Amino acid sequence: MVTTEHISKQFDTDLDTTRTRVLQMGGLVESQILAAIKAFAAGEAAVIEQVIENDARVNGYEVAIDGACNHIVVKRQPAANDLRLVMAISKIVTDLERMGDEAKKIAGMAKRIHNSHSSLAQKFPSIRHAGEIAVRMLRHALDAFARLDAASAAEVLKADSDIDNEFKSVLRQLITYMMEDPRTITPAVEMVWVAKAIERIGDHSKNVAEQVIYIVKGTDVRHTSFADIERELAQE
Amino acid sequence: MNATDSNTAARAASRPMLHTAVRAAEQGEFKPKLKINGLNFYYGSFHALKNITMEIPERKVTAFIGPSGCGKSTLLRTFNRMYSLYPEQRAEGEIVMDGEDLLTTRRDVSLIRAKIGMVFQKPTPFPMSIYDNIAFGVRLFEDLSRREMDDRVEWALARAALWNEVKDKLAQSGQSLSGGQQQRLCIARGIAIKPEVLLLDEPCSALDPISTAKVEELIHELKTDYTVVIVTHNMQQAARVSDYTAYMYLGELIEYDVTDTIFIKPKEAQTEDYITGRFG
Amino acid sequence: MSAVPAPVGVIDSRNPLYRSRRRVNYFLLAISALALSFGLFWLIWILGTLLYEGGNALARATLYYQMTPPPGSDGGLANAIAGSLIMVVVGTILGAPVGILAGTYLAEYGRKGWLAGATRFLNDVLLSAPSIVIGLFVYSIYVARVGHFSAWAGAIALSLIVIPVVVRTTDDMLKLVPNSLREAAMALGCPVWKMITLITYRAARTGILTGILLAVARISGETAPLLFTALNNQFWSTNMNAPMANLPVVIFQFAMSPYEDWRRLAWGGAALITLAVLVLNIIARALFRKTD
Repeated sequence: MVTTEHISKQFDTDLDTTRTRVLQMGGLVESQILAAIKAFAAGEAAVIEQVIENDARVNGYEVAIDGACNHIVVKRQPAANDLRLVMAISKIVTDLERMGDEAKKIAGMAKRIHNSHSSLAQKFPSIRHAGEIAVRMLRHALDAFARLDAASAAEVLKADSDIDNEFKSVLRQLITYMMEDPRTITPAVEMVWVAKAIERIGDHSKNVAEQVIYIVKGTDVRHTSFADIERELAQE
Repeated sequence: MNATDSNTAARAASRPMLHTAVRAAEQGEFKPKLKINGLNFYYGSFHALKNITMEIPERKVTAFIGPSGCGKSTLLRTFNRMYSLYPEQRAEGEIVMDGEDLLTTRRDVSLIRAKIGMVFQKPTPFPMSIYDNIAFGVRLFEDLSRREMDDRVEWALARAALWNEVKDKLAQSGQSLSGGQQQRLCIARGIAIKPEVLLLDEPCSALDPISTAKVEELIHELKTDYTVVIVTHNMQQAARVSDYTAYMYLGELIEYDVTDTIFIKPKEAQTEDYITGRFG
Repeated sequence: MSAVPAPVGVIDSRNPLYRSRRRVNYFLLAISALALSFGLFWLIWILGTLLYEGGNALARATLYYQMTPPPGSDGGLANAIAGSLIMVVVGTILGAPVGILAGTYLAEYGRKGWLAGATRFLNDVLLSAPSIVIGLFVYSIYVARVGHFSAWAGAIALSLIVIPVVVRTTDDMLKLVPNSLREAAMALGCPVWKMITLITYRAARTGILTGILLAVARISGETAPLLFTALNNQFWSTNMNAPMANLPVVIFQFAMSPYEDWRRLAWGGAALITLAVLVLNIIARALFRKTD
């Protein structure tokens, strides 16, 4: 998008450092989610504890990056693309932190499910499948952010509806299960929460992708239908 | 290099300059006060302004920004025919205000200048009392009684946020005030004659931050009655103060749009480079 | 890592380069002081002699109310003082307005074109023209034509000396007025002539006045032009059409005479003129400093 450098090298360094940090945070969150989903399927206690501990690191990233954004705003009064980048980073970081929280919740629920010695998790590979879609969405969104590619970001938006559909189908299945065997209600409800958490992770990835479109195109596409977004992007 | 320059210029010239209904609806009414058409300006043989076409809206603040030497002050000074004082400067083209082409009008130039006031970068109080400074311009065209003149002086100084500071020393020399006060005195002097357009050429560059803030606040109030055009090299000031912003470079008008658009999502890469400090 | 420290001893009063510079400095200061004393010496001697020789005459009241005497009798310089005053005033009244207006033209209107440049050049030539040439000029065009000397001729000659001085100072002082002031007035819709009279003159007024005062100081002591125009008059006369007494010519006449009284009066006149010029210069300086 912009290839020239600022007259102030310090400004360039500040922006680059912050962007790198965002990507690092994204990578950490990504691994957190993967680990949480694996733990949900397999139930390894060590992995679960690791995920729960690492969340503090994710929060630390959020605080640090927000502080860096404040610093850039007060020092540089950024305008145009710089402004959009800084504002978007601030929001992206919030979404990433929430994704980290969801991963932690999934780990907690996985712990409870496997402590109750339920084998329910193995009977629902679709949840794991949805989880993988969510992680893929995040990866693509972060990739789009790194390359500032609006087209890739738009692809991420499309994938969100897939996760929503998966969630609905999982919910139906679990309800059927609970109706058939009331003894499975407790673990089944936990599974619902896990599915919901994954659905939320998908939503947050969508938010990240929307922010990337804002950075590149300058258009705020939040709360806009996908058809309108495609039309908007085709215009430029 | 030349091809892209002319491409940019061609695109900028053909792009509709703020007549669209969307923009008008966003910003309230956009009624053009000054229509500039194909303006070219020369300092001797140096081509300083190249084919400028734009419209200045009434009762709004329009800012001209750009690097040094881009022609923004030159453009401003064509509006009130200030260049006519210097024989080696000449302008070609059209600037229409209220149906009259200011460049070729047969009327006396001082009548134009009385309707289009100007405040300069360096405060220039006349060597006379504060009262006489304000009254000077008024006396040129109006014959007011002592009482009426007193009222007018008070009104002008109050509007310029200077009345409270000088009301007890109106007989003192205008040159005895501080820099910020002198500039506000010059603004008061400019509005005392009730012009229709007010041109401000980097009015705050010689002022400290508090005086600058006061002047910016003043500009915000002035736009209810006057059309204001301000040249500034301080981009944040342009962003704070203006409704429309024009970015100029090397005598050409690169982009002219609503201020928010210029500063958040400018259309031209050149504009974006300048605003974000990616120049050179 | 700190920067390389400066070598010890360079910024030090024992540095030989520094000391040689200091020596040269003292040497040149000494020479300047000597030159100053040399100049001052002569200045003080002249003034001292003037006041000493003329002091006696100045102290006597008769100087101021008695007429120039015939040789051998006592008298004063009243008619000469009056005559000088009259011709200086009339000469200034004739010359200063012309000078101011011409200077205004040069500074305000004559920015381009050949006329302004040529005028300035001619003006500078006239400024340094020998005043005897001016005197001879007025003699040939006026005195010779009407057939007699007169105070009018004297005043005209003096005005011709005033004009170049005032043109020069007015031009310079007006050029010192910043353009921003002019533009500020024009931006209010002010016509050019009003801008000049109400703003530019006001801004330059002390400078222009100083120029006029300096011109007056100059013509107070001019002898040569008056020799050919007003000549002299033994008696009291305020008739502008007749020769009029004046201090410079009286001094010229009396100083080289063999009469003691006359010589004393000549010294008195010289001291008087010098003191008048001194006072005018002081006033001019005080005025000019008051601009700030």
